This record gives sequence, C-alpha cells and structure tokens, in this order.
Amino acid sequence: MLHTALPVEVTAIDIHPQPSWLAGLRRNDPATVRTLYTKHFPLVRQYVLKNSGTGSDAQDMFQEAMTVLWLSVKEGRLVPDADPGGFLYRVAKNKWLDVVRSAAHKHMKVVHDDRALDPATDVPDDIEERIVRLRGVYDKLDDKCRAVLDQFYFERKDLATIAAGMGVEEESIRTIKYRCMMKLRAFRKSISGEDQNEA
Amino acid sequence: MSQGALDRNTFEAIEAYVLDRMDTDERTVFEQRMAMEPALREEVDLERENIRAVELGGVTRMLNEIAQEEGTKSAGLSGSGWGTYLKYAAVIAVIATGAIWWFTRVPLNERLFAEHYAADPGLPVEMGVADDPLFADAMVAFKLGDNSEARSKWSPLLKAEPNNDTLRYYIACASLGMNDALSAIPLFEGVANDPASAFRDKSKWYLFLAYIKQGELEKAKALSLDDDPAYRERVRAIKAELE
Repeated sequence: MLHTALPVEVTAIDIHPQPSWLAGLRRNDPATVRTLYTKHFPLVRQYVLKNSGTGSDAQDMFQEAMTVLWLSVKEGRLVPDADPGGFLYRVAKNKWLDVVRSAAHKHMKVVHDDRALDPATDVPDDIEERIVRLRGVYDKLDDKCRAVLDQFYFERKDLATIAAGMGVEEESIRTIKYRCMMKLRAFRKSISGEDQNEA
Repeated sequence: MSQGALDRNTFEAIEAYVLDRMDTDERTVFEQRMAMEPALREEVDLERENIRAVELGGVTRMLNEIAQEEGTKSAGLSGSGWGTYLKYAAVIAVIATGAIWWFTRVPLNERLFAEHYAADPGLPVEMGVADDPLFADAMVAFKLGDNSEARSKWSPLLKAEPNNDTLRYYIACASLGMNDALSAIPLFEGVANDPASAFRDKSKWYLFLAYIKQGELEKAKALSLDDDPAYRERVRAIKAELE
C-alpha cells in the first residue's frame, strides 16, 4: 500500500523511529548514499550482466533506481518497513527489462520477465514522470546558479560557508540564490501559463 | 502574487517553511496565512518543487561521482592531470621491474605457463538460454574473473552430473585460473580423453599448460597436439624451449 500524502518534506514528527538509511537519504547524506551504492549495486550488476547488459548499463540502471528511491523517501511515499536492497533491485530490474524490450534491443530474447510474479510494486506510479519533470527544471540553471543552489539546498551549507568557499560576500550569495530561484520560478510560471492557454 | 514578482522577504519566508527552519510559532502563523491566501499556497508548492529539482540535480551529481570512483577503484587507478600520468608511470615502472625480475628469477615451467596461458572466455550467458540459472550464475562469475565463486557454484552441479563434460571442463578452467593445477589436471584428463566432447581439443591444450605449471614436464612432452591446427605451433615452441 502506498503512502498517498502530498509530496512534502517528512520531518521529525514521525512517531516511529526510522532506519538510519531512511534518515540519511532525507538529509542527502553522502555516506548513506555511498553505503547503499556499494552494498546493493553488485546484485544489480550481476543481473544486468547475466541478461546481456554491460557494466555501464548496470550502473545506469542502478543510478536510476537510486534516484527513484531517494525521491520516494524525500516525499514520504515509500511503503513502511521498505527494504532498500529489494526496492533498488526491483526498480533496476524492471528498468533493464524495459530497455531490452525497446526497439534497439528487439533481437534479445527475454525469458526471465517475472514482473507479474513480483509482489505488488512499491514504486509510486508517477515517480518517473516526476523525475523527468524535475530534471527539466534543473536543466534551466546555468553553472553558477547550480554551484550556489546545490550547496545551499542539497548540501545544506549555510550562506557564510558558501561565501567563504567561493571568495565572495555572504550578501552576494544570498542575492545570487534569490535571482537563480526567481529564474526557475519564471520558467515554471511560463509553463503553467502555456498549459492554461492550451486548456 | 502568482503572476507578478515575488519579493525576497516572502521568498525567504517560504524557503524557511519548506526547509523546516521556522520555529513553532512562526510556523503556526505562516500556516494560518496559507490557509487564507491561496496564492501563497501556490507559491509554497512552486518553491518546494524548485528546491526538489535542485536537490535532484545534487543527488544525480553525487551518484555520478560515486560511480566514477567505484569504476576508478576497480580499474586500480585514480586521480587526474599530472597526478594520473605520474601514477601511470609508476605503475609501468613497477610492472617493468617485476617483469625483469620474473624473467630472470622464475623457473622455466612457470615462465612458459605465464607466457602462454590465457583464460577461456567462457560461454555466452544470454536470455533464453539460461535453462539452468545456477550454471549461468557461475558462468557470470567466471567471466568476471571470480574463479573461486564459479568453482564453488559449479561443484555441486558436477556431483549431480559427474559425467557432464561442460561442467568438468569449466571447473578445471576455474581451478587453473586459481593456480590450482593439481585439481584441474584430472578433470582436463577426463575431457581430453572423451572423443565425443566438444571441449576435447581445448582440454588437451589446457592440460598441456597445467602439466607445465605443475612441473610434470615429461607428461607435457608426451601429450601430442600435432593434429590440432589451433595449438600445435605453440605446443612445439614450448616443447622446444623445454629441451
């Protein structure tokens, strides 16, 4: 069963204690991401290699699966007591089966498509569409904006630390951050305006 | 608010709310405002989405970095610029030194084995042919160079089918790949003496190399591969060096 809550940041009001990997992903902790990667990638790699893929294919599938896991956690849309290894394996496996079934890979034979035998999928239906949309927004940023926003929103550094690292005044970073976010806002507004006009 | 500009104070208030950096009182007041101002709610949703997009960019960057590091680790080299060139140079120097030592110190049979041995590439493991997933799992390990895992997965299968020449051949290959020529020899001998086996010729070649490695040079010399166009020249050259 899926959590159907709105995509909001899940905070400390949760009643049940959460596993460390879950808390780590929520705060974008690099050590947690690295641990999940090194622990669960080998199984995915083995599956992809066994099914006509390369090491590079395996990395692509695993990274996509990690992204799906991360976003599901951030938005509180993961089933309770989810097993991250099982989740990553299922998502990566299904993605690879989609690849081998695509036009470019029609010559490959697929016998182990046991998706129908999998337990009810725990991947939110619209999550991949959402990832594509969010990537489209991020693509609108130039390198300078990415450097500042990434440190502030992803790495959660404070303005003073970012300013010291970039050799500028704290107020400059604050202004750059505001302007960059206003660029994204304008982009999103233009899209929603177009959608309304089409409607 | 929705189509016009968003002033910096409002933007930062929304940011503090989304990032959960408001204290309880501030949060309560802000949520009361949201309840009464649909335009503010819309701005909150929009800013949350934009922050999420930035975070997604960050997570993608982090995953790429980890993948790159893992790949570099497995390649045994890391770094960039001159550091990388220096590391390459150091590695080449170590290999060259090792090679000089090897060719001057290593016994003849070990040197001949090292010169001529190349691991069997294994069988293709494709969808549609994995009738036996256990065999296929082991073959994936073998192709990745993990001979120990391959042998441990194939060995129980051979117990169930002791006359299976494919299993005997690949277990022998995995053993030889682990420098365990002693275990490989009887398995290669069995397949090399089986005229019906598709692995007969390759078994004779690897048996020849296994004898060399093990120092059983008389047995190696007695083994004839004169009828085998793929291996006979190499066998003659090795035998000539042994003389």
